[in-house]
Amino acid sequence: MASENEARTAREEWGTRFGFLMAMLGGMVGSGNIWRMPYTTGQNGGGAFLLAYIILLFVIAIPGLMAETALGSYTKQGVIGAFKKTYGRGWSEGFGLVVVVVTIALTSYYLPVVGQVLYYVAHSFLLTFSQPGFESVAFWNEFTASPLLTIGTHTIATVLVGGVLLFGIKRGIERVVKWMIPLLVVTLIVVAVRGLTLPGATAGLAFALTPDWNYLVRGQTWIAALGQALFSTGLGWGIALTFGSYLRQNDDIPLGAGIFTAIGNTSIGLLSIFAVFPVVFAFGLEPTAGAELTFVSLVSVFPQMAGGPIWAIVFFVGFFFAALSTGIVITEIGVSTIIEETRLDRSQTVLVVCTVVWLLGIPSAYSPAFLGTMDFMFGNWGLPLATLLIIGTVGWKIGPERLRVIELNRNADVYIGSWWNPVIKYVIPLVMVFIMVYYLLTNIAGSTMQTVGGVVLMTVLLVGAVLVMRVVRQRETTNVASGGD
Amino acid sequence: MALSTAAWVVMIGSIVVLWVPAVWALVRTLRDEGRKLELLTEQGKIDTYSPQALGELREWIEAHPDDAYEPEARRRYNECVETLHDIEEPFYEWSNAAVEDLQKLDRSE
Repeated sequence: MASENEARTAREEWGTRFGFLMAMLGGMVGSGNIWRMPYTTGQNGGGAFLLAYIILLFVIAIPGLMAETALGSYTKQGVIGAFKKTYGRGWSEGFGLVVVVVTIALTSYYLPVVGQVLYYVAHSFLLTFSQPGFESVAFWNEFTASPLLTIGTHTIATVLVGGVLLFGIKRGIERVVKWMIPLLVVTLIVVAVRGLTLPGATAGLAFALTPDWNYLVRGQTWIAALGQALFSTGLGWGIALTFGSYLRQNDDIPLGAGIFTAIGNTSIGLLSIFAVFPVVFAFGLEPTAGAELTFVSLVSVFPQMAGGPIWAIVFFVGFFFAALSTGIVITEIGVSTIIEETRLDRSQTVLVVCTVVWLLGIPSAYSPAFLGTMDFMFGNWGLPLATLLIIGTVGWKIGPERLRVIELNRNADVYIGSWWNPVIKYVIPLVMVFIMVYYLLTNIAGSTMQTVGGVVLMTVLLVGAVLVMRVVRQRETTNVASGGD
Repeated sequence: MALSTAAWVVMIGSIVVLWVPAVWALVRTLRDEGRKLELLTEQGKIDTYSPQALGELREWIEAHPDDAYEPEARRRYNECVETLHDIEEPFYEWSNAAVEDLQKLDRSE
């Protein structure tokens, strides 16, 4: 028993600073960086959007990531444990449960996307896209219409994620992301260089970067920039909290977890603009096609390029690294939390979590419409709620000044002044509430059922999680008092 | 199609505002890690707060003697002061005079 207890108390740590930084980037840089950032920029005034986005990145995302990481680093706990250490045992641990449930839901529909990318990676190596008579639309439709293929690739993606997580933080996640993220950057640079040398490529850059300053006075531009700044950096999803809890005693938080993670993630988004849009415009594709831009449009142009099969392989391998690293990282949030809150070891926990996300992900793998609904519900409502709970806890329960002087500036590579306090206490929570109200008002007319469903689901989730944790802790207390084990 | 001057300005500006700080942050934090590991290997321990940060921590402890986080804050403060007195070479820019002036905080009654 003693050895089991020792094993429980010896918390794993990152092996290197580089490993931690790549893991943070790996979690934040997902498939959305590849196709969403370029077209969101182009649609919202190009350079004007970038300016708004960069301002919000510095004002909100960077301080927010510092707060979330510091919470994890101070408590040395996963999501539920961090709330327990902050509020005490009881109902308030339900806030942590909400974050875990939201990330597990997110993982369940993200792993089928990883499976889709995996399918395209495999076919890029099989040179399918350059075969005579290849039709990208028919290929995509055939894939999405086959449950065997969609659920099969979802299964392989889940097994890959589980396989990495079995080895833990240092020997699993860190070992994989340390080469995966640099290779992702290299592949994007290679594709960008090729794309920028295509005839007509500058039209893509002109679309994405030419500033229309009128957009700066439009609310929609700032809303889109806020969404991109908050969601692409993964603020408040539990990633920074969980990974911060594995930081070593002398590790810095502000420079690595805050500044590098947020700006590095956006830098990769900018690289995606250079990689994707020149190709899109050189071949006259529709720049606002969303996810189909990658799976349908880009696939159709690779065969037309000199050395096309090579470019397809390079592009999809990079895309796969972005998607898989995010899949690994968001699954780890549930794994870390459940290891701490139960008597399961890592292997058992990985098996349980991966089985749950695999089962929950089957409907999303089977039906793109279901995946879209899940994304609408949890992307629009669940993630802002999780962000609000985590940043709200730092801002209003712990207090930003306490966390700043005790934890954030400890071992810091850059000093963070008291300007940080009002950003955490007022600005980010107000922005999150504003975003949620804005989504409610703008979506209620167009998609009433989904919008109301999302609000109801999140309310039920919040109340339900709080009640569940209250009952669980009360039962534990009763058992201890009555002499049970 | 040639890029407009404004598009060039945005492109170069974005690179300067994003890629330059990202690379700087990466290099700086990795260098700092290397320096910390070097000092840890040589001395066994390193200072954990900069002069400004330790000064703020002391002010906060003195202003919040009954705070639930005060014991942990004081433990960290004293640990840093003790380390600074013990080591030859600090990680942060501490002057000898500033280190000599530092005293541990006793528990307030």
